[in-house]
Amino acid sequence: MEGQWESFKNGIYQTFILKDNYMYFVKGVKVTLMVTVLALILGVILGVITAVVRSAHDQQPANKRSFLLKVMNGACKVYLTVIRGTPMMVQLLIMWFVIFAGQRATDGNLIRCAVISFGINSGAYVAEIVRSGIMSIDKGQMEAGRSLGLDYASTMRFIIVPQAFKNVLPALGNELITLLKETSIVTVIGLRDLTKGAMIVNANTYQAFVPFLAIAAIYLLMVMALSWLLGKMERRLRQSDIR
Amino acid sequence: MIYVKDLSKTFGENQVISHIDAHIRPGEKVVIVGPSGSGKSTFLRCLNLLEQPTSGTITFDGEEITNPQTDINQVRRHMGMVFQHFNLFANLTVKKNIMLAPVQLKLMTKEQAEEEAMRLLKLVNLEDKADVYPVQLSGGQKQRIAIVRSLAMNPKVMLFDEPTSALDPEMVGEVLELMKRLALDGMTMVVVTHEMGFAREVGTRVVFMDEGVIKEENTPQEFFANPKDPRLQDFLSKVL
Repeated sequence: MEGQWESFKNGIYQTFILKDNYMYFVKGVKVTLMVTVLALILGVILGVITAVVRSAHDQQPANKRSFLLKVMNGACKVYLTVIRGTPMMVQLLIMWFVIFAGQRATDGNLIRCAVISFGINSGAYVAEIVRSGIMSIDKGQMEAGRSLGLDYASTMRFIIVPQAFKNVLPALGNELITLLKETSIVTVIGLRDLTKGAMIVNANTYQAFVPFLAIAAIYLLMVMALSWLLGKMERRLRQSDIR
Repeated sequence: MIYVKDLSKTFGENQVISHIDAHIRPGEKVVIVGPSGSGKSTFLRCLNLLEQPTSGTITFDGEEITNPQTDINQVRRHMGMVFQHFNLFANLTVKKNIMLAPVQLKLMTKEQAEEEAMRLLKLVNLEDKADVYPVQLSGGQKQRIAIVRSLAMNPKVMLFDEPTSALDPEMVGEVLELMKRLALDGMTMVVVTHEMGFAREVGTRVVFMDEGVIKEENTPQEFFANPKDPRLQDFLSKVL
């Protein structure tokens, strides 16, 4: 018993205090959060655009669809199929070793690569989430907007998408949590996120128990904080539902 | 004001409207009645192209709106529409519901639109509801706001699609009252309704639709006193 306690204390010392190892975790959290937040922003932008194009195409009668809309819808469908049909890690590897090939492995380049990969990946899932939200809005809302003379895009922007967004917030929250945890695979391109930080400490000190359980706890705390924030946001958006 | 020529609409195999001709003159209050499934709502929705006619033409103020070249958004600014289920924008407060279209279409500044919204709300005695969301209102209040939301665009004609059908009986009165006031102010109106009292009292012309065609149209007095079409006689005996 005494021996285990001693080795645990030693584990803590080597993991965090020795050679300022705690900095790996601090920097790792920063990188993980940065990639998550930036990828989320990119993903939501891509997702909403894709969802609006797909819904616009499906809501238009077949003979009124413009050529441009058909092309854009086709592009969106290819995007969804390819991105959702291939593993995230493979997409990340292609992005770094093929598309970013020849770039120096600086933190800036690695983060850029990760944000673009995760943003594009997340966008495909967000697109379908937002589209389900758009389809859940009563058709009368669109008709009312159009009957006042607003065009399709304005009605979408001011009426439909805000309501859709509120309806899909729980599902979007899910996607955000998944995204946060999934960023841990950026280790394969060598970006020093939280997971990579623990791996480095493990390699330097031969400690496993403390560093890996520590990052598990840190991920858990970040997800709990996110859930709390999302809950707050949801309550605010629900304002128009309070009777 | 609105000329309808040889208008037809089919949904797949189902012919909802067949070869209708109609003319709505400025200042007229045309009331369309008929059994459900007779195509009266579809006809009304064709007038502002919420429903795309299968064939035929509609001309509004000298402009053929069924022509694909016509900017339908421009035309719709002048045609107010009131729906059976109100369709107030659920994510906006009452005041913003009214202000959205005039401001976004740059017909008014935000301040002007706000002033106009408050004026219209006063008109229907709902100025205390300016900052609440639609979900907090009763059906009658929602419909009155939906009507003034259309009015904020200064339409030349108002289309009403069964505006009282989704209301509790005790709220029908307040909506009809507002529509009567509009009529007295000289608004051109096309109203699809089951309220025969309103048709008789406010209508300048009553139209009976059945099976996608206009079976009979006449002044309210003649329409209710001397119906000629057997289907209309049958219909009136059931609803009156």
